[in-house]
Amino acid sequence: MKGKRLLSPIIFIVCWQILTLAEIIPAFKLPSPAQVLLGLRDLIQLGMPPGHPLLYHILYSLERVFWGYSVAVLIAVPLGIAMGWSQKIRDVVEPLVELIRPIPPLAWIPIAILWFGIGGTAAGFIIFLGAFFPVLLNTAAGVLAIDAILIEAARALNARGRDIFFKVLVPGSVPSIITGMRIGIGIGWMTLVAAEFTGVKQGYGLGYMIMTARDIQRPDEIIAGMLVIGIIGLGIDSCLRLLERRLIRWR
Amino acid sequence: MRAGGIDPRRGMTMRNLLVLLLLTALGIAPAVVLSVNKPVRMAYLQNDIHHLALWVALEKGFFAHEKVDVEISGIFRAGPEVMTAFAAGGLDMAYVGEAPATTAVANKACRVVVVAQVNTEGSALVVATGNAGIGKLSDLGGKTVAIPGHSTVQDFLLKKALKKEGVDLSRVNVIVLKPPEMINALRTAEIDAFIAWEPYPSQAATMGLGRKLATSRQMWSGHPCCVLVCDSVFLDANLERVRGVIRAHVRATAFIREHPEEAVRIGVKYTGMHAETVRTAMDTVHYTHELNIEGEKEYVQFLSELNYIRVESPQYFIEQFIDGEPLKSVTQK
Amino acid sequence: MALSLELVDLTKVFTASGPRDSISVFEKLNCRIEKGEFVSIVGPSGCGKTTLLRVIAGLEQASDGKVFLDGTSIDGRDPRVGLIFQEYALFPWRKTLENIETGLEFGGIPKKERRGAAMEYIRNFGLAGFENKYPKELSGGMKQRVAIARTLITNPEVVLMDEPFGSLDSQTRNDMQQFLLDVWQRRRDTILFVTHNVDEAVYLSDRILVLSRRPTKILKAVEATLPRPRDRTSPESNHIRRIILSLLSTSVMQ
Repeated sequence: MKGKRLLSPIIFIVCWQILTLAEIIPAFKLPSPAQVLLGLRDLIQLGMPPGHPLLYHILYSLERVFWGYSVAVLIAVPLGIAMGWSQKIRDVVEPLVELIRPIPPLAWIPIAILWFGIGGTAAGFIIFLGAFFPVLLNTAAGVLAIDAILIEAARALNARGRDIFFKVLVPGSVPSIITGMRIGIGIGWMTLVAAEFTGVKQGYGLGYMIMTARDIQRPDEIIAGMLVIGIIGLGIDSCLRLLERRLIRWR
Repeated sequence: MRAGGIDPRRGMTMRNLLVLLLLTALGIAPAVVLSVNKPVRMAYLQNDIHHLALWVALEKGFFAHEKVDVEISGIFRAGPEVMTAFAAGGLDMAYVGEAPATTAVANKACRVVVVAQVNTEGSALVVATGNAGIGKLSDLGGKTVAIPGHSTVQDFLLKKALKKEGVDLSRVNVIVLKPPEMINALRTAEIDAFIAWEPYPSQAATMGLGRKLATSRQMWSGHPCCVLVCDSVFLDANLERVRGVIRAHVRATAFIREHPEEAVRIGVKYTGMHAETVRTAMDTVHYTHELNIEGEKEYVQFLSELNYIRVESPQYFIEQFIDGEPLKSVTQK
Repeated sequence: MALSLELVDLTKVFTASGPRDSISVFEKLNCRIEKGEFVSIVGPSGCGKTTLLRVIAGLEQASDGKVFLDGTSIDGRDPRVGLIFQEYALFPWRKTLENIETGLEFGGIPKKERRGAAMEYIRNFGLAGFENKYPKELSGGMKQRVAIARTLITNPEVVLMDEPFGSLDSQTRNDMQQFLLDVWQRRRDTILFVTHNVDEAVYLSDRILVLSRRPTKILKAVEATLPRPRDRTSPESNHIRRIILSLLSTSVMQ
């Protein structure tokens, strides 16, 4: 099963190598897979900008995403549950959400710089915005989707409001919460590169690394950087999928 | 698997490959521009007072006088972006820093040649006015300094000056900001200093936010800064028009020296800054069209030391990179 | 015998948008149920059997009339009234043991105690070995046993059951009826059992309340004082069944 799924990327890489070997696409526009691998080696050993190795870029980016995402989850999950629970809260929150959600996180960059300055906080804020709404909306939907009869069963067993909230709404909406979290981290990680265009004071970050590779005209390192970002994103999603499988054995 | 005949799965893979190749071939690359009737596509850097000659030539109609139609295809925020535009086939000629141009050509991103100098000197390192802790360049260890981009002239100057002062480069936190953002970052004390082309240093001084710690002249006297580059394919096909542009450039460069006040007026128009700021900025810039080969050798050597480029033969590279013929033919009239 | 549950003039009207749209579900229901009685309610579809149970359980409000429990009137949700749902309504994220002990958990009983109590029910209800299974892993009959245990463990005064065996196949249904009788004969809870299956009502109950169509009234309370275990096909059972069916059919004709 797994072998078949590898076939497609392999064919893709082969086509890519042929296209660049035959110089149908010039090398500076699209480096060959081999060149990208060499670029990756340079990123690891030499660093981009030189002296800033890949590992540190990864760690700083992961840290930024971690903070932005954590804050998003910590706010969105309780708020989402409250929204699912109470029509009144929905009436207050929903119009604001519908207004702000369509604004792309990237459009917030100038404001983010104004509020948080250059550096990790502004980038974390952009990531927060990307992750927040999927988590919020999936959580609320998850609560709303809980069969009303389960709430009635709880009431028939003499549950108080607090019991219904913590012992029915929360566990019942866990599947949706996790779905929202998976979507949220996906978007948050994707916003990373653009978020780091805010100019990261620490001088490290995968987005910053790619920007610098652009400045020094190293498309091989740009693509290698993109691949690193893609692979890490895949890794994060796989971890969440594992978490999902463990938490939702009852489905 | 069907008995007899090609395995349809393999057939489809071949077909996919051919489709991919076809789409790629169609999607590619700009045709060689038959540029006879099209204007010369030029670019300059946003608010860069070094590029004043271009603005003068545009305002005074020098290009029209040479019967060359010039179009500004882009105003960029920093040199590396200009070079990317060349790589994408979007520009024919440009005013740009010698360092990013060298980096781009050395890394084979695009093929341009330098046909004339634009200026020497004219940048400055600015520290926040309140920052008493930095009295000289060697005090920058452990501080945060902003540059407009990696492999820009300013990046180059900063690192060269720091090295000369014996400061360990790894101890200085060098970050990238676009010049307009630098002034604000200085104001909010997120950076300790920045280095940028004029008139930004003068603007910081006029606004009372910063003081010039060192001009680029002090860092490297007489260093070449911006150059007029031309796409090499375009040059081969349009020699006469390129000569016309160079002639206009030479004339505009002289104009700045001969009519400074009018030059200031034009500078104000293109930067939107006060006349006082522009005048102060212009004072530190040396406008000249004369090519500086020695300076370029410095660039190649230090950029290699910084590991931005790897050049097998610097001599050969420079010969290919700087083409003095068109300029010679224009000035030796 | 002591009185357990009494309905006095109990009325339920659903008002839609206007007065003309209001639906009278049941009007002025009166009945008295003794402690330890097993009473069934049968009636045509839509006559409000489920609504009646929900009103008594306090999940819905009566439009008029009163419900008395042990002599005092109850208004809304009272913990002495237990309700078992037709759809089991087990919490899918809780294992069998955790589902059963839910009522005790809400009541603040400490873990050790409620675990012990729940384990007893697991043993007595034939659920041994399944205490750590999730509802999705249980058969229909098992799920209903868990639902029953979950309610009985809170020792309600009155146990309301809303067609609990409606979704089971007939063999499992018969087994569950037997199971319920065994449990009831040991504990003697007061049970109010809604079903549309007349045979089931006849097999299980001391008394059967036959309801009319809407606006629902109690047509008749049929006594079923046959000794248990009962023979489903005995002449006495048939006789009672005939009475009920004829009451229901005339009701339909109207």
